[in-house]
Amino acid sequence: MQLSISETHCPYCALQCGMTLVSEGGETSVRSRDFPTNRGGLCQKGWTSAELLYHPERLRTPLLRAKRRDALQPVSWDEALDYISTRIKSIQEQFGRDAVGVFGGGGLTNEKAYLLGKFARVALRTSQIDYNGRFCMSSAAAAAIKAFGIDRGLPFPLADIPHAKTILLTGSNAAETMPPVMQYFHAQAKNGGSLIVVDPRRTPTASAATLHLQITPGTDIALANGLLYLAMKEGYLDERFILTRTTGFEQVRGVVARYWPDRVERITGIPEKQLAYAARLLGEAPSAMILTARGPEQQSKGVNAVLSFINLALALGKAGQPYCGYGCLTGQGNGQGGREHGQKADQLPGYRKLDNPEHRAHIAKIWNIPESDLPRPGRSAYEMLAHIGEGDGLRALLVFGSNLAVSAPRAGFVQQRLEALDLLVVSDFFLSETAQLADIVLPCTQWAEEEGTLTNLEGRVLHRRRAVPPPADVRSDLEIIAELATRLGCQSAFPTQPQDVFEELRRASAGGPADYSGITYERIDREQGVFWPCPNENHPGASRLFLDRFATPDGRARFHPVQHLPAAEEPDAEYPLYLTTGRIMQHYQSGAQTRRVPQLQEAAPEAFVEIHPSMARFYGISDGDRVRLSTRRGTTIAKARLTPAIRFDTLFVPFHFAADGRANLLTNPALDPVSRMPEFKVCAAQIQLEIS
Amino acid sequence: MPSKQNLVVIGNGMAGARAVEEILARGGRDLFNITMFGDEPYGNYNRILLSNVLNGSQEESEIFLNPLEWYRENGIILHVGVYAESILRRSKCVLGCDGTIEPYDKLIVATGSQSFVPPLEGLTLPDGRYKPGVFVFRTLDDCREIAEYARGRGRAAVIGGGLLGLEAARGLQNFGVKVDVIQFAPYLMNQQLDPQAAAILKTIMERMGVGVLLGKNTTAVLGEEAVSGLRFADDTSLGCDMVVIAAGIKPNAEIAARCGLSVQRAILVDNQMRSIDDPEIYAVGECAQHRGNVYGLVAPLWEQAKVLADHITGHKPDAAYHGSKIATKLKVMGVEVAAMGITEAADERDEIVQFTEPKKGTYKKLIIRDGHLAGAILLGDISKAAYLMQAFDRGTPLPEDRLSLLFDIGAPAKQVTVQELPPDAQICNCNGVNKAAILACVNGGCHSPKAVMEKTRAGMGCGSCKSMVTEIVEWACDGKLEEDPSVHYYVPGVPLTKPDLIKACREQNLKSVSAVFQVLAGGKEDAASKPGLASLLNTIWAGEYVDERDARFINDRVHANIQKDGTFSVIPQIPGGVTTPDQLRRIADAAEKYNAPMVKLTGGQRIDILGIKKEDLPNIWRDLDMPSGYAYAKRYRTCKSCVGTDLCRFGVGDSTSLAIKIEQHLQGIDAPAKLKLATAGCPRNCSEAMVKDVGAVAVEGGRWEIYVGGAAGSHVRKGDVLCVVDSHEDVLKYTARFIQYYRENAKYLERTYGFVERIGIEKIRSVIVGDSEGIASRLDDAINESIAAYKDPWKEAYNPVTPNQFSSLLPVLQ
Repeated sequence: MQLSISETHCPYCALQCGMTLVSEGGETSVRSRDFPTNRGGLCQKGWTSAELLYHPERLRTPLLRAKRRDALQPVSWDEALDYISTRIKSIQEQFGRDAVGVFGGGGLTNEKAYLLGKFARVALRTSQIDYNGRFCMSSAAAAAIKAFGIDRGLPFPLADIPHAKTILLTGSNAAETMPPVMQYFHAQAKNGGSLIVVDPRRTPTASAATLHLQITPGTDIALANGLLYLAMKEGYLDERFILTRTTGFEQVRGVVARYWPDRVERITGIPEKQLAYAARLLGEAPSAMILTARGPEQQSKGVNAVLSFINLALALGKAGQPYCGYGCLTGQGNGQGGREHGQKADQLPGYRKLDNPEHRAHIAKIWNIPESDLPRPGRSAYEMLAHIGEGDGLRALLVFGSNLAVSAPRAGFVQQRLEALDLLVVSDFFLSETAQLADIVLPCTQWAEEEGTLTNLEGRVLHRRRAVPPPADVRSDLEIIAELATRLGCQSAFPTQPQDVFEELRRASAGGPADYSGITYERIDREQGVFWPCPNENHPGASRLFLDRFATPDGRARFHPVQHLPAAEEPDAEYPLYLTTGRIMQHYQSGAQTRRVPQLQEAAPEAFVEIHPSMARFYGISDGDRVRLSTRRGTTIAKARLTPAIRFDTLFVPFHFAADGRANLLTNPALDPVSRMPEFKVCAAQIQLEIS
Repeated sequence: MPSKQNLVVIGNGMAGARAVEEILARGGRDLFNITMFGDEPYGNYNRILLSNVLNGSQEESEIFLNPLEWYRENGIILHVGVYAESILRRSKCVLGCDGTIEPYDKLIVATGSQSFVPPLEGLTLPDGRYKPGVFVFRTLDDCREIAEYARGRGRAAVIGGGLLGLEAARGLQNFGVKVDVIQFAPYLMNQQLDPQAAAILKTIMERMGVGVLLGKNTTAVLGEEAVSGLRFADDTSLGCDMVVIAAGIKPNAEIAARCGLSVQRAILVDNQMRSIDDPEIYAVGECAQHRGNVYGLVAPLWEQAKVLADHITGHKPDAAYHGSKIATKLKVMGVEVAAMGITEAADERDEIVQFTEPKKGTYKKLIIRDGHLAGAILLGDISKAAYLMQAFDRGTPLPEDRLSLLFDIGAPAKQVTVQELPPDAQICNCNGVNKAAILACVNGGCHSPKAVMEKTRAGMGCGSCKSMVTEIVEWACDGKLEEDPSVHYYVPGVPLTKPDLIKACREQNLKSVSAVFQVLAGGKEDAASKPGLASLLNTIWAGEYVDERDARFINDRVHANIQKDGTFSVIPQIPGGVTTPDQLRRIADAAEKYNAPMVKLTGGQRIDILGIKKEDLPNIWRDLDMPSGYAYAKRYRTCKSCVGTDLCRFGVGDSTSLAIKIEQHLQGIDAPAKLKLATAGCPRNCSEAMVKDVGAVAVEGGRWEIYVGGAAGSHVRKGDVLCVVDSHEDVLKYTARFIQYYRENAKYLERTYGFVERIGIEKIRSVIVGDSEGIASRLDDAINESIAAYKDPWKEAYNPVTPNQFSSLLPVLQ
């Protein structure tokens, strides 16, 4: 009976709350831990997370089916790995290297994300790798790089939030998606600060706000431009900041001149008075922060939406100054680190770019391969999936840490595409909806059974410790990757110890925008996490960015003139309502983990749709009725939840549920032209009572 | 690639420029050489906002949409200030007034409109110019001229009681002139309002001092050299110093009519915005007439521009314009008005929902057809305008509840008491706990807020609902609220405070962790409590403690801080941060001798020699010949200080020598968690004494404030003032007494910030300063005993405790 007490972090969201796991005799319990992100608090997901560790449905052995319709059967690791490598080799021989793809996840540790990118480029030598962060962080990332030259979710630590006089939080329901973070907003309110929340729903987050702007889905750019218009009109611009620290404001001025209040009101549905109040709260505050989350980002114009809010922050001089700045609230556990180290289609470790010759040369040297062997950028997540079965599309796909059958847009079609593959390999610790489609399922270690680093929404690199030993026949993703690389005849090194991978990652990231070279496991433990960029071991880590300069070549932030455009699909006579999707407190992402925790499942057992009571009456729907929601892409069955907290014209469905309760059967895969983000947050839908 | 076509645009107003923007956005630069004629000498500006310029709420510079550079940057040739005279359709070119000839493949006519000026007697001077004091309200120049002329005038008349007329009246009022609005129609804003709404508006305007004359047909402008009044068809007249004509618009379609295009009120266009006569010529904006409608608002013209661009570029060849839904909003003399769609029921199906409160100036009327909004008028209270306008624009089905269309019902509920909350009211969002769950927990026997919180997890997320949970528990316990004793337990798994636990262990001779659980916790072992118990038992029993597993950390065994690579860091004591050249020399020599890869100044004003091998530890200690700085243990560590009074200009107290005294007094004292102290010579707090476990800050008059419970690590807390004393000796006394009290009562690993918050500073102050429990002298004796027993652990260098104490075999952590 070994007693172990491990100071580690929660398996779920990007807040990465500190927690202590106490294990003895095959039981593990979660204890509170005073860590700078959560200061002891945890939400229901965190408190119950240890339920995952000894779950009866835990996968404990590799599974294989020789034919699609056969049942999955247990096999040995050698059998499974040999089968995979043989199939990959023959598929690549017949259809070329790019016929095999890799799909990663924003929940994977930095070490895994790094090694997965290396595996794709060096062992598989395919250009086809992307990850589910494409569905999550890509718009904010692209916009931040355009405007600031670097993409780190928050340019300041959470501890700065209470000191901002005004905060505009748009498209985030943090009170449910990362509850412990709310303590910073409460502290800000206590300090006399104002919080403006933009959301089509009056969420718990919006209820806590000074001002709630109940926006029409998909009209964020009009709102941001409208606020900037008012700021110009009322004389709130920080001309000196604009002059000395930014470029490109003049073009923005011309564009914004078209967003006078009654026009913006008509587009966004936000009354003029509230627009004026919001502009005043932001404009008159000595310090202000503007934070976005998936609301504006998960749109076919997500990058521009984020840029419009960045424009507002810059024009008000509320960036690159103490207790000011634009930030995005990252979603997935390692949504930040996962987007930095090379599992993205166009990217190399350290936030280097695959189309930059210097960057290619640096990484090729670290990986000890000729630069010419590095593939070019490949397709983005949805495009990779949508092209399966087409001429140059994938024939085989390896999925790590992602449950596409639930989380991808237009999920019915994506499931069809996955079924059309010659080979689908899924590494997971539960038989997720995607694993159920696989030819081979590899049982991997989870969260508390393995060690690694994650980078939270602040850009703070954290150390997740191993708290309990994994089941006997389960392997880590690092081991799986290394085994496959060897079987594929790859000569390059694939370390399997997390710390060894991290050491390589440090070297690979050195000199890149996301420079981890000064970070060590020991420093992370001693300093309660280290912020990147951290270019050497004597560097304290950059908890606050941009105070003296932005990360652009000339040190100035960039304005980008952006215009409002309608959503790719607006309501019409046939599909008269807006549909938006999102999250609830009890579940995390596709629910593959949280739907298996009894307390969470009991509290939130099935798909539901929020509808305004007046609108429900129009359709003859009562609370608790089963309803049929349809869009041009598919149909979902859900339970009606009547609430006056949602707009008359909008429906909300959480996307955590499986089977015919999948919200993503409905969503529109219209992609942002830059970030390739699908439009999860707005499409046109109809609703009717389900006649059973 | 085929060579580019020539695209000529006549007109550089909001329609023309917008059409060009839309064309550029669709790759038009690769398709066309674009040339524009603009008769105003500017880039393009937002005419919608002209009234703001007139009334002074916006600067001219703020309403420009595209400055002249924009045209250059996009490769557009702009003939600034050149009026297009004629279109030669057969030779496909446009003639400018300055002789310019521009050939076109495609032509866009966006000539806009001008003010409609009724044929009035005396309008002009003999030379054809308007009589001074006569203005139209159309362009930026008009605005400037009106503003200039209005200054110092007494009375102005506005001809036209529509949207533009009322805006002009608003603008004029700002110059302090008395304004009369003259309306030909029987009521104001007859395009947007019904008679009832207009009547309310009229009353309000008159109350605001604006005269309104209805059904008046103006026939003449009076005055010889300048305006002095107006005369009407009914032979009445009105005296005024100026007149602004805002009687509607007249599309500029002459150029089209002259070249043979069909013109009624404006140029007739098809659904692609092409002239019905010539597929190469498009018209857009106020000069175009589509299905009988000429639009004078910006939204329709932008919609037209989009369709035109889709079609002309081939981007969407089947794009079609089907007319626009018209909605307007404005503020007239402080009265807000919103209007959209039809103003009267037109059909038997039409349902009218109406609310009137003339006294307050409120009027609301909706016209609903087949469940969709066909028109609406809102006056006074337009809070629902945003929603209604969207429902009108998008044809969203309207909720059955008509009342909710007119009013915001169910405003946020007023504050309710906890009794009134329904059982399913969510109290804790983070953990999904409702009132019923909290009540069930209380009924199940938990009678303290803390017990309820731990059981239900309510309040254990962001913590914002803690006070609410406490209130509910208090109410539910109905006065039987108990303080949860477990908050004071030394470790959670054994229900005793530290003093009681020590007593019980001593009395019952409990020497192992398992024995403690067996006897004091009913045999129930709690994993998380074990390290704390192990530490306590070791303190109580020293050598007799039965070490069941290696529960102590290596740091405590070798008196140095272990590093990642298995080497150690060595930090000698430097009291008050004051050192000597001799000490520095020894440190330097030792660092060299033992190949220390790094020597670093610490935050505690000491010097850290890093990278020392375990087996070298006793040797380096001998070479240093300095006491241990205890930078590794749960003990007193250091007392930081500023330079005090000797050299600092601000210092009011000798903080340096105080820090040295404290260090010499308290060195090595063990505690439930580490102790970091500081002294500051003045309230500028350079040594951060206010955020230390104990800090002494000098204040005027030779006095010292003692702060306790400060923290500046992951948890930041400003310390609480324990007391203010007069001398170094008293600082030492109360500091030591507080530390002893903390040693005896703090939980395992509980830092002073948690301890002070848990016990409460008032209680602590009464015990330490007021001696309310009569234990002060016992506390002093106890700490003095510990102080007397102090032994520098680095002296073990000469006398190892165990033979392999410093061998390099690395025990595993955890």
